[in-house]
Amino acid sequence: MNVVRFILQNRGEVWESTLQHLWLVGLSTMFATAIGVPLGILIAHRTRLNKPVLATANIIQTIPGLALFGFLLPVSWLGARADRLAILALTLYALLPIIRNTYTGIRGVDPAVVEAGRGMGLTESQLLFQVELPLAVSVILSGVRVAVVISVGLATIAAAIGAGGLGEFIFRGLAMVDNRVILAGAIPAAILALVADIGVGWIERRLQPR
Amino acid sequence: MQPIPASAAIEFRDVSYRVADTQILSGLNLQVEKGETLVLLGRSGSGKTTTLKLVNRLLSPTTGEVRVKGVPNAESDVIRLRRGIGYVIQDVGLFPHFTVQRNIGLVPKIEGWPQDRIRARVVELLQVVGLGPEMATRYPHQLSGGQRQRVGVARALAADPEVLLMDEPFGALDPLTRDELQREFFLLQQRLHKTVVFVTHDLREALRLGSRIALMEAGRLVTVLTPQEFLRSTDPWASAYVRAFGDGLESAANRGAS
Amino acid sequence: MRILRLSLGLLALVMVLLLASCSPSHADRVVIGSKNFTESLILGELIAQQIEAHTTLKVERRFYLAGTYICQQAILAGRIDVYPEYTGTALTAILKQNAGPDNQNVYQRVKDAYEQRFGLTLGPALGFNDTFAMEIRGDDARRLNIKTLSQASAFAPKWRAGFGYEFMERSDGYRGLAETYGLHFAEQPRVMDLGLLARALRDHQIDLAAGNATDGLITALDLFVLEDDKHYFPPYEAVPVIREQTLREHPEVGLALAELAGKISDDEMRRMNYAADGQHREAKEVVQEFLRSKRLIQ
Repeated sequence: MNVVRFILQNRGEVWESTLQHLWLVGLSTMFATAIGVPLGILIAHRTRLNKPVLATANIIQTIPGLALFGFLLPVSWLGARADRLAILALTLYALLPIIRNTYTGIRGVDPAVVEAGRGMGLTESQLLFQVELPLAVSVILSGVRVAVVISVGLATIAAAIGAGGLGEFIFRGLAMVDNRVILAGAIPAAILALVADIGVGWIERRLQPR
Repeated sequence: MQPIPASAAIEFRDVSYRVADTQILSGLNLQVEKGETLVLLGRSGSGKTTTLKLVNRLLSPTTGEVRVKGVPNAESDVIRLRRGIGYVIQDVGLFPHFTVQRNIGLVPKIEGWPQDRIRARVVELLQVVGLGPEMATRYPHQLSGGQRQRVGVARALAADPEVLLMDEPFGALDPLTRDELQREFFLLQQRLHKTVVFVTHDLREALRLGSRIALMEAGRLVTVLTPQEFLRSTDPWASAYVRAFGDGLESAANRGAS
Repeated sequence: MRILRLSLGLLALVMVLLLASCSPSHADRVVIGSKNFTESLILGELIAQQIEAHTTLKVERRFYLAGTYICQQAILAGRIDVYPEYTGTALTAILKQNAGPDNQNVYQRVKDAYEQRFGLTLGPALGFNDTFAMEIRGDDARRLNIKTLSQASAFAPKWRAGFGYEFMERSDGYRGLAETYGLHFAEQPRVMDLGLLARALRDHQIDLAAGNATDGLITALDLFVLEDDKHYFPPYEAVPVIREQTLREHPEVGLALAELAGKISDDEMRRMNYAADGQHREAKEVVQEFLRSKRLIQ
């Protein structure tokens, strides 16, 4: 196949772009998890906050990806380095699924279990780390999975603003009107998304509480 | 004010509890003596569960004071307080991701007991609640309702607390299992002499298990009587209860066969 | 046990991320970038072939990047090592400075700023000045007897203008030009694809276009470039932008590019552009021919 030969011929470049793509997705998902999980826990415990927080995350997600990039470009610290900007935008985008699933996961823990734990004399942090989080982890991971898959897709658009990644092949291929170049970016991106979906899904199932 | 008995393990002094516009408890004065089984009897909404939760400070009184072992709850460290009180609830609340072993051993573990002491204690407690040692490696979802509640009781007893709080612990079980567990609990209590506060709406259960019955209605303590006194009581609420429950109550009061 | 496995998984993830984050050190190769219009592609190919011929390095081409900002980001991130830029563009679009009176020393200013701020440097100028050319039809120029933009401004109200997207948006583009020369057109200038402007001009769809001084179609279609008598446009000398790290690792790249200094005149660039655009010849071939003619390659 023409495309496969092309990819093999340029495998150095394709690999480099894939790593760049992984970097964008991985870093932003880590940030989103580091921010989103604690926020999700917070609103699960203080339900008064849940509407404003979820609404904000929802609004951010509603903004079309390319538009969000556009909003952030004029900010000089961000605009100076496109990958910084892309990572920030990807992080913001990944927040909603992670916050929402953390919230759902924690609220989904059987209230009798939480009451028994509290009544037994578990501190709030023992309750959180030994009971609530382990029981919610599968649901939380499913949110992370959604975030990763969204990010892989959005990161391909990030190339439009110069952040690199597999999208750069796609845009160059479009300008060159060369399908092989387009596919050299599109195929690895699709594979990446699938692998992430299956991989995280597998971990989710392993961690599901009985 | 009545003189406070020196042996009072738990005291309620002029306790009231209010949430938003609803008065849930008012003017509660009650002493629970060390080693007794005090049953809080009442129908839904009578405030009995609320009263129970004031003991281990899952709730705090709006006015008045709750004391455990002579120390006002407001002044004691809430975690230490709760670790010294066993808590058994109707839905049991076993940790589904822990084995029976880890469920029972959780409080000892966070109290820093060495691993082998915990293991020995778990085996001991399983026996006490009538389960074989092979149960230790099972998960809650693999157990029947009755087995789960036995584990729940074992878990509550793990760190050997002086006080045990039980909120309708057998209410979700089938009548045969309930009967079995009531009988076994009675025998257990005779051996262990814990201070137990037991919530129920079932008069038969109350007569069987309680050393005294505290009847509650609409957030107030109506009367506190021994089982025998309760049956002969002329108090309108008490007698209403007796009538509602029909026959066969004497044998329950006498802890005989049901 | 489970915690152990999770931590190992997390560790592996972190390691992959760290690996990926290291700035790609192009140990044995050089990546040449270019923008996505013909002249940039030709210059990119020129740089690539020159380096291929004069060094032992493997050259990778990453052409058709979507614009100035994309190229700048790519070279800052180390994804490309060299790409052809114009001094005027670097000054206004990237450094966001004004050219200042008389457009003095633009090359030096850009070189200094790039070295100071970005860890990038400029190779020597390639020789031509691809400044903005305000083009009208040759017929109109002769008939109306106009040679400069100042003269043309009198006729602007009767004309329709067509510009490329970047020219419309850039601060050193249409806005400043209209101010400097007092240009008022009959209607808003039309924004068109760069490649279509010259033909639209020939076909009387527009009367004035902003093209480039080295546009191959200027001679081919008998178009006339109005003189920028007020010196509004800064010089747009073509230069290779190079990563300092690349020069450090491969000084032979600097030497190879130095040989290109001043080798391309305005006219030679026009001819190469026309060969690629008008005659549809391969950029590779066009560049090879040029380099041979200059005896830079065999």
